[in-house]
Amino acid sequence: MTAPFIYLDNAATTPVDPEVREAMRPFLDAEFGNPSSRHRVGQRAAEAVDRARAEVARATGAKAADVVFTSGGTEANNLAVLGSARARRKHGRHVLVGPTEHPCVRESAQALVEEGFEVETLRLDSSGALDLAHLAAALRPDTVLVGLLLVQNEFGSVQPVREVSARVRARSPHAAVHVDAVQAFGKVEVSLRSLGADSIAISAHKVHGPKGSGALVTNGAIPLRPLVFGGGQQGGRRPGTEGVAGIVGLGVSARLAEERRESACASMRRCRDIVAAGIARIPGARVLEPGAPAQAVSPAILAVVIPGAPSEVRMNHLEELGVIVSAGSACHSKTSQVSPSLVAIGLSAADARRMLRFSFSRATTESDASTAGSALEAVCSKLESARK
Amino acid sequence: MSGSPALPPPEIVLVRYGELALKGGNRRQFEDRLAQNIRDATARISGVRVERRRGRLAVFPERRTEDVAFRLQEVFGIKSVSPAWGSPSEPDAIARCAQPVLVDALAALPPDREVTFRVHTSRGDKLFPLNSIELDRYVAERIMPGLGRLRVRLDDPELALGIDVRAERSYVFVRRLPGPGGLPVGTLGRALCLLSGGIDSPVAAWMSMKRGLHVGFITFHSYPFVGDASKRKVVEVARLLARWQQPESRLFVVPFTEIQTAIRDAAPESYRTVLYRRFMQRIAARVAAENRLAALITGESLGQVASQTLENIACIEAAADAQVLRPLIGFDKEDTVAVARRIGTFDVSSRQEPDCCSVFMPERPVLRGKIEACEAAEAGLDLAGLIDRACAGIETIELDPEA
Repeated sequence: MTAPFIYLDNAATTPVDPEVREAMRPFLDAEFGNPSSRHRVGQRAAEAVDRARAEVARATGAKAADVVFTSGGTEANNLAVLGSARARRKHGRHVLVGPTEHPCVRESAQALVEEGFEVETLRLDSSGALDLAHLAAALRPDTVLVGLLLVQNEFGSVQPVREVSARVRARSPHAAVHVDAVQAFGKVEVSLRSLGADSIAISAHKVHGPKGSGALVTNGAIPLRPLVFGGGQQGGRRPGTEGVAGIVGLGVSARLAEERRESACASMRRCRDIVAAGIARIPGARVLEPGAPAQAVSPAILAVVIPGAPSEVRMNHLEELGVIVSAGSACHSKTSQVSPSLVAIGLSAADARRMLRFSFSRATTESDASTAGSALEAVCSKLESARK
Repeated sequence: MSGSPALPPPEIVLVRYGELALKGGNRRQFEDRLAQNIRDATARISGVRVERRRGRLAVFPERRTEDVAFRLQEVFGIKSVSPAWGSPSEPDAIARCAQPVLVDALAALPPDREVTFRVHTSRGDKLFPLNSIELDRYVAERIMPGLGRLRVRLDDPELALGIDVRAERSYVFVRRLPGPGGLPVGTLGRALCLLSGGIDSPVAAWMSMKRGLHVGFITFHSYPFVGDASKRKVVEVARLLARWQQPESRLFVVPFTEIQTAIRDAAPESYRTVLYRRFMQRIAARVAAENRLAALITGESLGQVASQTLENIACIEAAADAQVLRPLIGFDKEDTVAVARRIGTFDVSSRQEPDCCSVFMPERPVLRGKIEACEAAEAGLDLAGLIDRACAGIETIELDPEA
């Protein structure tokens, strides 16, 4: 994975691991069968899908039968939110979602309002950690779904899902706990049982797999209403001919992500520390770690607010030096929208426009990190001197 | 309707043009250009043969005639088009050809009521046995009994069956699809439009194309203060415009960072925007001259933003010796937006991306700039060097409108 640039936007997407690519290749070539076909060509594809199902199940602590392949994280989260809330409406219509959710959870929950559901958003306390007392008070007997992400995509805080699940079980016997683990997978342990969750969404391309492939895994206890209808594949939970190559890629990338999690985390943590040390030398810059120390922060994500130029200008200047990062929020002078998650952690609109996100993967080297740290310092001093 | 033969695909597209027929001495040249523009616009759909007819063109596609007709609705100079069905040139065959065409058209009108109807023959073959009025009547009498709901009304009927009689083969049609009007692109020469990524300049370019100009595009890019996503937005807009002037369109992307930085460091803050525009004017004028483009086109409209005052426009225009067209000068914003929506550039243009004008934007831009003040501010700048280096760094993008 050598590239003419240093790629530190791994929370957006990651490069495909060569091992994943090689595993997928036959299914874009001679092994083109339809897994639903009863002849040998089809059955070989079905076996490959089954192997991937088992790999995803192992990596998330699920049973193979409870893995539903989807077009990615967005669809998996939509299926969990819409599919499980709809299946439980006879028990109630109250839905809770986390305060810093990805739009695919926040907005799919919002879509339930039109169907007569009542949707409430959880809160953060003054430290930026999830407010568990508020959660406990918000849970009701008619709560049917609680949706929460495990690792926040913009600033990396790790949400206390296990503590949330315990409170849900105590107060809302009919509620399903859904966990958006798209940014967490491969960085923290993602297990139905250790999280106490009913369902978990993951995505292949965040862990060196292909785009367009993800999964919803469940504990088998929650019924799901499908979002799409068709030929009955995947037990009718997600019909449509399986995207075999993408599914194979998800299986291998999920296995590798879990196998290599500890070493990847150690290496990402070192990289994060190196960039953070560079940031510490920039006057006025501050790293965002909402909820710390009560809540951990993902080793893969480092969000920083730097006073002065809008983050997009800084991003472009870093790009010019061969370092790819993400501007937290766009810098448009007009109608710029600050993400609700940044509002939730109390970031001002001005600071939100000055937020940069560095995100790491197991492919990031310490030398990449130190080059990036120096590049950031150079860009900041160049832009600062231009202002004078 | 039972018993009716199935309707085959139309055979040709009849193309009517308006104004260019009035242009006297240039008429032949205009028709040739329109025919070529038609071939270019449809090249990716089907090969076509274009024949000249009195005041019309007949387009013979090899395939996909309906798609060709649809595409021709975006070719300037065309007033309307009609997909048409061919028949041997004798009265009975023409009536038999017209029958399923009318059945098809009637099926799309509300059922169970009368539909007003007329036949209108245009006779290119004066040796045809019937004159126009006789053929109108002959065809109407032959087909009306079988269709039931038709009632003749000569003035503004709901269905007008057109018949184009030629010696070798005749054509019938009912639909007249509107074209964009205007003049064939290229008949009035070539110009260069300054594209900003905003809503206005693409509309200015389109209106110039509509009046027969072939338009080149130029944009200014201040990387890394502005990212490549902003450049891509301009490319997308330019590609949408390029559809209207096949086969070739070109976008010049001028590196502008050095100039903006020099202005920021040397000139009064309130004059920055006007000075950026003076440099754009100079560079655009040079690119236009080098590429034999006879005028500059801008999206300026009086008073729309603070910088668009008569004084500021004068400051900008004075920077270079070039003819400047401002097709939007009398437009309200709503007028511009309406055209932008119609031509499909609005959605891309209104996507929020920074452009180079937002770089080092002054807190209070000057409203009534003075040319002497501009010149004084530029006195400390290496004008020739800055412009030479910007021009040397131009990236030329050949736009493929079908990509």
